[in-house]
Amino acid sequence: MATPPDFVAGQVLTAAQMNAVGLWLVKTQTIGTTVSSVTVTDAFSADYQHYKIMLAGGVASTTNTLRITLGATTAGYYQGGYGTTFAAVAAAANVNNGAFWVLGTGSTNSLYTNFDLLNPNETNETMMQGFIPDSQTGGGSYSVGGFLNNATSYTDFTITASTGTLTGGIVYVYGYRK
Amino acid sequence: MAYKIQIDDEVREATAEEAAVIDAQRSAGEQLLAEQAAALEARKAPLRRIGLTDDEIAIVLGL
Repeated sequence: MATPPDFVAGQVLTAAQMNAVGLWLVKTQTIGTTVSSVTVTDAFSADYQHYKIMLAGGVASTTNTLRITLGATTAGYYQGGYGTTFAAVAAAANVNNGAFWVLGTGSTNSLYTNFDLLNPNETNETMMQGFIPDSQTGGGSYSVGGFLNNATSYTDFTITASTGTLTGGIVYVYGYRK
Repeated sequence: MAYKIQIDDEVREATAEEAAVIDAQRSAGEQLLAEQAAALEARKAPLRRIGLTDDEIAIVLGL
């Protein structure tokens, strides 16, 4: 099969062609109205080793950050992040053995998160990498990376607002094909 | 404090235990920010003592 594939309308795809699809939508979750947190269950499994999680749309009741936790784990999150405000002021987004990762932003304009998790369902450290832009004129953008310091296998994750509530938006969970 | 939480498509009031988890996380977040602010002030303090202005301190520290 050519790389990239060149399918035509009505073409019957073979198993080999379908099995070469690199990113697969695992689950979507629409965020409800004025919730403080949203948990997505059965997001991770042995079907995939690595995942991409994205959220856009919706609104926050007030400016906040979106915190990510895996399962019921409330400690051991490490994150190194660096970026700049739109006004060109350097800023950091670090977590040092904290209770969560900071991987998104919320404003009265939009919610946003976009990060990859490596090995979340493995009995090994979960690695994280992401990118956090801000939908406010006084905000900025950050590149982050880190890990969760345990060897726990996870199936769920939770997005929690640092303050206020979240309304709307769709969380997408994609698996990177092994 | 009462929270409304969502698990998959189910939206409901948080139990006392679930609310305590959110409270602890928000408290940890506030402490985290306070610790970062204190660390930054500790870096600024010696520069202030030798007479640098806030703008000069920002340049020196790359803020």
